[in-house]
Amino acid sequence: MAGLISRGFLGRRRPPEVEKRLPPGQYLVTDFPVLSAGPTPHTPVDRWSFRIEGLVKSPVSWSWSEFQQLPTETVTVDISCVTKWTKLDTKWKGVTVDTLLKNVEVDPAGQYVMAFSDGGYTTNVPLNELTNGQGFVAYEFDDKPLAAEHGGPARLVVPHLYFWKSAKWIRGLRFMDRNLPGFWESLGYHIHGDPWKEERYSGD
Amino acid sequence: MAALEWQLGTVTTIQTETPKTKSFFLALPKWMGHRPGHHIDLRLTAPDGYRTQRSYSIASAPELTGQLELTVDLIPDGEVSPYLHDVVMQGDLLELRGPIGGYFVWDVSLGGPLLLVGGGSGVVPLMAMLRHRAAQHSTIPARLLYSVRTADDVIYRDELARLAGAGSGLDVLFTYTRQAPAGWTGYRRRIDAAMLNEVIKPFGLAAKTYVCGPTLLVESVANLLVGMGQPAERVRTERFGPTGS
Amino acid sequence: MDVETADVNTELMVDGNAIAGELELIFGHDMTSALVRCASCAAQGMIATMMAFVRGPGVVLRCPSCEAVIARIVETPTATYLDTRGAMYLRIGHSA
Repeated sequence: MAGLISRGFLGRRRPPEVEKRLPPGQYLVTDFPVLSAGPTPHTPVDRWSFRIEGLVKSPVSWSWSEFQQLPTETVTVDISCVTKWTKLDTKWKGVTVDTLLKNVEVDPAGQYVMAFSDGGYTTNVPLNELTNGQGFVAYEFDDKPLAAEHGGPARLVVPHLYFWKSAKWIRGLRFMDRNLPGFWESLGYHIHGDPWKEERYSGD
Repeated sequence: MAALEWQLGTVTTIQTETPKTKSFFLALPKWMGHRPGHHIDLRLTAPDGYRTQRSYSIASAPELTGQLELTVDLIPDGEVSPYLHDVVMQGDLLELRGPIGGYFVWDVSLGGPLLLVGGGSGVVPLMAMLRHRAAQHSTIPARLLYSVRTADDVIYRDELARLAGAGSGLDVLFTYTRQAPAGWTGYRRRIDAAMLNEVIKPFGLAAKTYVCGPTLLVESVANLLVGMGQPAERVRTERFGPTGS
Repeated sequence: MDVETADVNTELMVDGNAIAGELELIFGHDMTSALVRCASCAAQGMIATMMAFVRGPGVVLRCPSCEAVIARIVETPTATYLDTRGAMYLRIGHSA
């Protein structure tokens, strides 16, 4: 890389004491950056629903109060955004995809999932990377209701992949037989997105 | 027109404008000139290759040749402004490209009357316009409505007073939204319809308006102006993002 | 855009002026005054007046009238991706 190095500009940190926890090319942040592709949807919970549809025997949906009745888990995970920030030890409470799928008969062909959100955002994840506790629909962050600017009322959290896959303002999962690309995957971002393999862009 | 390329400017002077604002004069051997309202993109590179970029409006008028002035607010948890404020020294090189934009520009050839509405550091591109107007000895009627929190936040105070002298055709009106100076008899609130009505009154529907500052201020002012009957195509806007971003 | 229900996300929103440099690199000249017509609601305006969300993995330009996506831009280390399907057209004046 040729060109100027700005004298005295140190950029961002990879502190030695946590370096091993930071995926390649990532930097530590201690705040919680707000990034989005559009205005906050502000869906009131009395109009909110979560739906599972597509290649399933029959679609299922939950209202907000029904969703609140589902068993939850609280997890603490590290999250990495493709824009290079990583935040350690984030605490979430939500419903695992495993729990949601107890109520659904998925078609054998439905091996891939498109998460869809208010505002039109989508992101694709293989089913076997959402099950076994790898994915959940969270509505609390840090012991408080999830703030609208961070994806509330509820967002998908898939911490082992880059955080663009953790769709904010999620409204459902659509089962598909192909790994169709979602919003960012269809415009140059990697179809899979594993931060430990630095799968940022298609072609990586 | 030549392709937009990164070039190096040398910091010649750093000037403190307010407790949180500094101006940086950069000598540019490859400068091509600009129009008032244009901005530049500034890029910083760390030793490990990490890069970050910000846009800054050019504060100087195009009549100041071979160099340009940037006026930068210090954002306490920011990435770039603390570096500019606390680390950069005279003689340092900064990488930039420009001039950029074209929609949010004004020069005397576009005529007036001219209404400029600025919030906080949104005044910077408007200052380039006023400095150009003065350098051209123009008496096109102009008004600047400048919204700040306190008197400490006013950038270019003395120069604005000089530019708005008798016979200049320029009025500068302040509104203090948090704390006005002692004895202040002017506006002391967020910009609202009543204030805009009074400020724009002499210009009627003929004003060319430029609004710049935090997104919420610009949205509010632009909506109010259009709601008051100002032709939408004569109200130009530039949103900076959050207050102090 | 309802300023009253604004939040951090709204505050962070900027406009087409913020991506003037990126657009100039793609198109070869300033695009802030080019007109764009929304494919969703047919509202027309200059690119500078589009809502712009610039802090995520890419840039999203949205129609200020209906909030539909007009265009998206992603910069990778080796390429620029541009999607303008949300625009009925871009109108670039010859005098630009």
